[in-house]
Amino acid sequence: MRIYGYLAKKVGDLTIKYSNFPESYVKKSYEQVYWKTPAGYPQYKKAQVARKKYRFTTNRPWTGQFRQQNEPGTLRKKVFVEPIRDWTFFRGDRVEVMVGKDKGKQGIVSQVIQERNWVIVEGLNTHLRVVGKDKNFPGITIQSEAPLLVTSDVKLVDPESLKATDVEWRYTEEGDKVRVSLASSRIIPIPKTAEETIDYKSKELYIDNIEKDTTADAATKITFAPKLRTFEMDIMEEMGIKEDRVPAKSYWY
Amino acid sequence: MNTVIIKNIFRSTTTLCMRSQKSINTAAACIVKRDFHTTKPTQDLMEFFDAKKNWPETNIRVGRAWKLDELRLKSNTDLHKLWYVLLKERNMLYTMEHECNERVRLFPNPERIDKVEESMNNIESVIRERNIAYYKLETGETGERPVKDVINLIGMPEKYQPSEYDTPKFMNTRWVRPYLKHGFINSLAVKKFRRLYNEKIHSEVRKAHNRDFNHVQHLLKRFPNLDMDTLKAEYPNVDIEKAKRTKKSRGHFMPTY
Repeated sequence: MRIYGYLAKKVGDLTIKYSNFPESYVKKSYEQVYWKTPAGYPQYKKAQVARKKYRFTTNRPWTGQFRQQNEPGTLRKKVFVEPIRDWTFFRGDRVEVMVGKDKGKQGIVSQVIQERNWVIVEGLNTHLRVVGKDKNFPGITIQSEAPLLVTSDVKLVDPESLKATDVEWRYTEEGDKVRVSLASSRIIPIPKTAEETIDYKSKELYIDNIEKDTTADAATKITFAPKLRTFEMDIMEEMGIKEDRVPAKSYWY
Repeated sequence: MNTVIIKNIFRSTTTLCMRSQKSINTAAACIVKRDFHTTKPTQDLMEFFDAKKNWPETNIRVGRAWKLDELRLKSNTDLHKLWYVLLKERNMLYTMEHECNERVRLFPNPERIDKVEESMNNIESVIRERNIAYYKLETGETGERPVKDVINLIGMPEKYQPSEYDTPKFMNTRWVRPYLKHGFINSLAVKKFRRLYNEKIHSEVRKAHNRDFNHVQHLLKRFPNLDMDTLKAEYPNVDIEKAKRTKKSRGHFMPTY
């Protein structure tokens, strides 16, 4: 009997934000429920047999490749991920690589995989892999970036001195939570590219689907006026429905 | 006239994407366009299906679900209308999904169903909030169906929902008094069940604790710069000081903590 809450803390917040999917959909897309107790029978407690351990990779959880890598029956060795309280790295951040053959070089974060504490920096920490090698075909060589651990392999870059610094989250006088570089106390703003999702690059650039979407104006327009009425009473008044009948006395037990 | 205008705005609107101040110009244009809506709203069974031009599409872009705070700004009439717009959209999506499954085709953007469900759940929450506020003010109780926490015949906690009857309890001869009067049955079978069930729960709790303790040991072994406060927040039931003293948690480094 597997408990529902297990799937709750699996996928990172940034992954859900990037996907632009509702959280329930993301969970449904990668969970593998093998059997559930039949619904509507009070004698059977709500329980399910489902996969609990997933191997999170550079493939996003709702993709087909993720499903292939986590096929039912595949057992992978456990990966230990250091718990981080405040996530500090976002897409578009300038970071410096601290390990590997690209040590000392600075690059821009192109992908954030929170489930493994990974960050993929554009063009750095790369390796070559050959795809489609055949007897007659030499294959296509692709340069692909390897992920870097957020805790040890990568550091944020101070915007003015352009040097790698450790970063802390602090509150400004206005009350905003900002990243402050410990070396120079300068604020490192969250880049604009961080709000990018699969559907849009930035919120201003999103084009509404006229037939389906409500515009921001229509949605934020306040039409509510507090009245001492229930929802049903209010609707009846608006529609001119008159109900004079008094309901008979009923007992609840 | 007012209702017609509002109907136009909500006619085919279900979801939204929040936009910044810059987008107000484009938003105004959208509203104008909607008053001169070119596609005729079909008043027949074809409303169960999407617009024909969307049928060959593989990606139908749609905004996010309505949030609770956005819905709290709306009047009851608007919520009432929005509910039916969402209901029709939900029916359309389920019809399209069914048709796609029948014809073995890919149903584009299945997350739309989740967005509509979320919006509808949010509308229900807002309406319930408003009704509860009224009833609590006027009567002192929530107007909802009462729910009582009771212990049933086998000693398990259950939520009993009273039903509505026309005769009071003492007069109602047909009503079978459930566990409310008898409570827990003191028989061998029930005691055996309780024993085994408690053992099961105890075993689960113990295994979860052991699992977490083991996990913490492994984290301490692998990560030299682990933040103790974060660890405590993630695993509040684990005795971290005890974990640090074990052989399994010794890593190949000098501990800084």
